[in-house]
Amino acid sequence: MIRGTVIGQVWAARKARGLEGQTLLLVAARDADGHATGRLVVASDTLDARAGEDVTVAFGSGARNVLRPGPDNRDLLCDAAIAAIVEGAG
Amino acid sequence: MILGRVIGQVWAARRDVRLQRAKLLVVRPHAIYEPAFATRHLVATDDVDAGVGDDVVICLGAPARASAGGNDMPVDAAVLGVVDRIDLRPELLAAPGAGPGIKRALAAAGAAQK
Repeated sequence: MIRGTVIGQVWAARKARGLEGQTLLLVAARDADGHATGRLVVASDTLDARAGEDVTVAFGSGARNVLRPGPDNRDLLCDAAIAAIVEGAG
Repeated sequence: MILGRVIGQVWAARRDVRLQRAKLLVVRPHAIYEPAFATRHLVATDDVDAGVGDDVVICLGAPARASAGGNDMPVDAAVLGVVDRIDLRPELLAAPGAGPGIKRALAAAGAAQK
């Protein structure tokens, strides 16, 4: 997973099957020191993250496990999802 | 997933049999995303009828492969959706610790609105 900051939301009515109603947020990725890198990630959101909030983003099968846990989620078209909303990091 | 703009379509009569029915779009990402090659473009399958000039969300890797028809497909990128609108929060530039990275990310996403 990586840390990042929510900077906006993407609205898309035409989406692949099974993704109806899925919230897509724009996340600016941060590096190990907490500085934004300029890299932009589109991540599915089930936690109702808001703009300006720091989040952790899970990639790969971890992202699919956020949306639907279990072995039968390989059909989900998702490679990044918000796994946690960060309140503080040491 | 990443944001990109459709800049063209690939036409290929001779192709892998598993790709016979796939529509292949050329997409230019709006921001850096660590591609396998520094080519500033990628080719993605499209099931949602995107066209040239559309901004799209692209899903990479295994989920793209599965959506294209199965885990044995020779595919690593698929169009997830066609962007209608992007809500950005430029006021985040003023937030403490925003830095140049937030500015670059906002600029990249802002390019998708034009």
